[in-house]
Amino acid sequence: MRISVEINGRSHEGEVEPRTLLSDFIRHGAGLHGTHVGCEHGVCGACTVQLDGEPVRSCLMLAVQADGRSLRTVESLAPPEGGLHPLQAAFQETHALQCGFCTPGFLMSIEAFLREHPQPTEHEIREALAGNLCRCTGYKAIIEAVERAAERLHRP
Amino acid sequence: MSAERWVGRPMPRREDVRFLRGEATYLDDIELPDLLEAAFVRSPFAHARLGAIDVEAALALPGVAAVLTGADLGKRARALPAGAVDDGIVADAGHPVLARDRVRYAGEAVALVVAESRAVAEDAAELVDVDYEPLQPVLDPRTAAGMPLLHDGVADNRLVTWQRTHGDVEGAFAAADRVVSQSFHIPRLVAAPIETRGAIARVEGDVLTVWCSAQDPHRPLAQLGVSLGRGPDSLRVVVPDVGGAFGSKGVVAPEVAAIACAAEDLGRPVRWTEDRAENFLAAYQGRGLDADVELAVSAEGRILGLRATLYADLGAYLYATTAVAPHTAAMLITGAYDVAAASVEVVGAATTKVPTGPYRGAGRPEAAFLVERMVDLAARKLGLEPVEVRRRNFVRPDAFPYETPMGWTYDSGDFERCLDAVLELAPLAGWLELRDAARAEGRVLGVGVGMYIERAGGLWESAVVRVEPDGRVVVRTGSSPHGQGHETTFAQIAADELGVEPQAVELRWGDSGELPGVGTFASRSVAMGGSAVASAARELAERARDAGVSVTDLGGAEAESRFSSGLVFASGAYAALVEIERATGRLLVLGLAAVDDSGRIVNPLLAEGQVLGATVQGLGQCLVEEAVHDEEGQLRTASFADYSLLTAAELPPVESRFVETPSPLNPLGAKGIGEGGAIATPAAVANAVADALAPFGVRHVDPPFTEAKLWSLLREAGP
Repeated sequence: MRISVEINGRSHEGEVEPRTLLSDFIRHGAGLHGTHVGCEHGVCGACTVQLDGEPVRSCLMLAVQADGRSLRTVESLAPPEGGLHPLQAAFQETHALQCGFCTPGFLMSIEAFLREHPQPTEHEIREALAGNLCRCTGYKAIIEAVERAAERLHRP
Repeated sequence: MSAERWVGRPMPRREDVRFLRGEATYLDDIELPDLLEAAFVRSPFAHARLGAIDVEAALALPGVAAVLTGADLGKRARALPAGAVDDGIVADAGHPVLARDRVRYAGEAVALVVAESRAVAEDAAELVDVDYEPLQPVLDPRTAAGMPLLHDGVADNRLVTWQRTHGDVEGAFAAADRVVSQSFHIPRLVAAPIETRGAIARVEGDVLTVWCSAQDPHRPLAQLGVSLGRGPDSLRVVVPDVGGAFGSKGVVAPEVAAIACAAEDLGRPVRWTEDRAENFLAAYQGRGLDADVELAVSAEGRILGLRATLYADLGAYLYATTAVAPHTAAMLITGAYDVAAASVEVVGAATTKVPTGPYRGAGRPEAAFLVERMVDLAARKLGLEPVEVRRRNFVRPDAFPYETPMGWTYDSGDFERCLDAVLELAPLAGWLELRDAARAEGRVLGVGVGMYIERAGGLWESAVVRVEPDGRVVVRTGSSPHGQGHETTFAQIAADELGVEPQAVELRWGDSGELPGVGTFASRSVAMGGSAVASAARELAERARDAGVSVTDLGGAEAESRFSSGLVFASGAYAALVEIERATGRLLVLGLAAVDDSGRIVNPLLAEGQVLGATVQGLGQCLVEEAVHDEEGQLRTASFADYSLLTAAELPPVESRFVETPSPLNPLGAKGIGEGGAIATPAAVANAVADALAPFGVRHVDPPFTEAKLWSLLREAGP
């Protein structure tokens, strides 16, 4: 089947099988390797992208379901030549990543969360993070990074 | 010695930018022309005789390039090498590349399918028809000797035998006022890095290049070399960015040797990206140890002697490092304590399960769990405070270098200082008040302390430091990162020696063709790899000083170091406050305090990250993690839905501090930081759980401390 998906503001067209996962289309069809595949059963959250602004697990969707819709992946967060997004900068400052494999999924989940919850409580942050698995950091630094990013993004 | 401007600073990582932007290159991100994808046919039985394998239908599927079985590989791919331990007897039972004649665990690879896409390869794998004649599974290491033999020539299903006695053990037990005995079961765990395993094999001319998600290129080079009969002139291993390992990518997977044979046959590169189900079924698991331990103690709480038998559930085959964990558990079983007499036997049993291997801690958590539980049990039996019993038995700070009864030499440490620090950090006095007040209200709270010893370092590591003509410094290291932060810490080390900024130092690693090395495991990167960088950089700095110029003027100059040392021993003390919800049995960790002595800390921000990450893995072991096999030998926990990892929502308050007693064995004074949290946390939490349940007459509980288990114990104990 032929599909056309807008990813990070650019149109990506491709021929896919009906069974092709959205995660595989993003990675191998559109060649955007920042979205990672960790479990392919919807638990780890490494493949999280935003579909029409909402975080979704791209391993639990078929590519054909994204036809005609708009996606954002981790590559959209900061311009290639510019500085990091405040959320990315906060991750670096608090040492919120180690191996980095889960990180794009966390970033895409939290970027959407902070738009909905500009001044989150720590409890809300923990609940929001609970859909993504990190095996390296123990999460404490990730929670700190979200708090820090929320302060900066909310500041007028 | 140079001025230390950078070592000791909490610098954020330079390497983060490519990870945060999604620009890192992990194994599955590598693009090569004509790349084929692999899938494996895996045994559905834990133990079966392997009959005919019909591959015709699979081969006929459009897009399939090859199907290989064990018979097709013949002698081209020999079993991966089994590894030895000091003074142990180890069977010749290396993991076959593809099964021949018999399968010995559910998930063992029987055939390889190579196709134009992974989807087609999986379709074809479904079409491979295999005849199996099921055989009886062997599941329990304590009784494996009496079961059907898994390997010809391996009597009693005994893969590893090791025994050591030091001092007058009989005399110690005869002289004891009390003898404390306990049996333990430490379940198997899954390392579960978020990036699964994988490799690409490409043959060009005579040279096989393997890109491999691994902890270093050197061990895959050696192990594939044995299996495929290739030396370093016809085999090169390259390690890209790696999405976590925790010990589980330290031995090359047999699947990698199989795709290498396919790449050779087909003249096209072949990739295997493991899926999560394969990782649960076929990647080696950690822990899996039963034990019977006895402690001889005096009325004053002095430990006079220790006896233990360790039954290791090693699984179907021996990888190069399978024997390491039970051996380490035995070697460290006297922990932080000065014990004059000890006798330990290791029974390494063959079972019809995936092999075990190192997982974060690798024998150290087992040792800490056993000895720390025994100390608490002894204290309870003697009516003494657990903390006081520890103080009466510590190896004293003036006793280093201290040779343990098992024969390792602790280089440095101050165990009582660690204990005092954790009591203050917790703070223990406050926790005890809280516990007692809550108990008066009928709540179930407990407090526990756990000491740990972390064997680290040893062997050697390489580094080459070069000043480029433009003054930039390039450091090549035999050590290899998979989350640790080498690009930052090694640059800090080199910058101090050379008098430059860390930003001026570029790190290169991960290519066996560049320089030989040992690799990243056993918390050895900074102590060994960092010391190699320091030594080479120091040589360049001395050359510059002798020439009266600055290092950046030495364009083209290069210094090489191969740093070796004996083992270094990190140590520490952890404390936990827990509550068990009476209504549900749910374990709540209300507080966790961590004190680690890792010698000198190069980067406190990254060191704390290691502590927190390891601690939460240790908490997972306490709360939820357990690889469960049923009576048929099937893994019942083969997805993240069944094998839970902790999330941010379950994270308890964790406080971390460092004590620094520098190691005398390397120029940095460094020990190890990577594993302490995973070693000590289960011991501290287990002691807290036992303390919480003591008023109910419960003596001991094995992990994980699940709701069902704790609820049943409380219910049996009555209202």
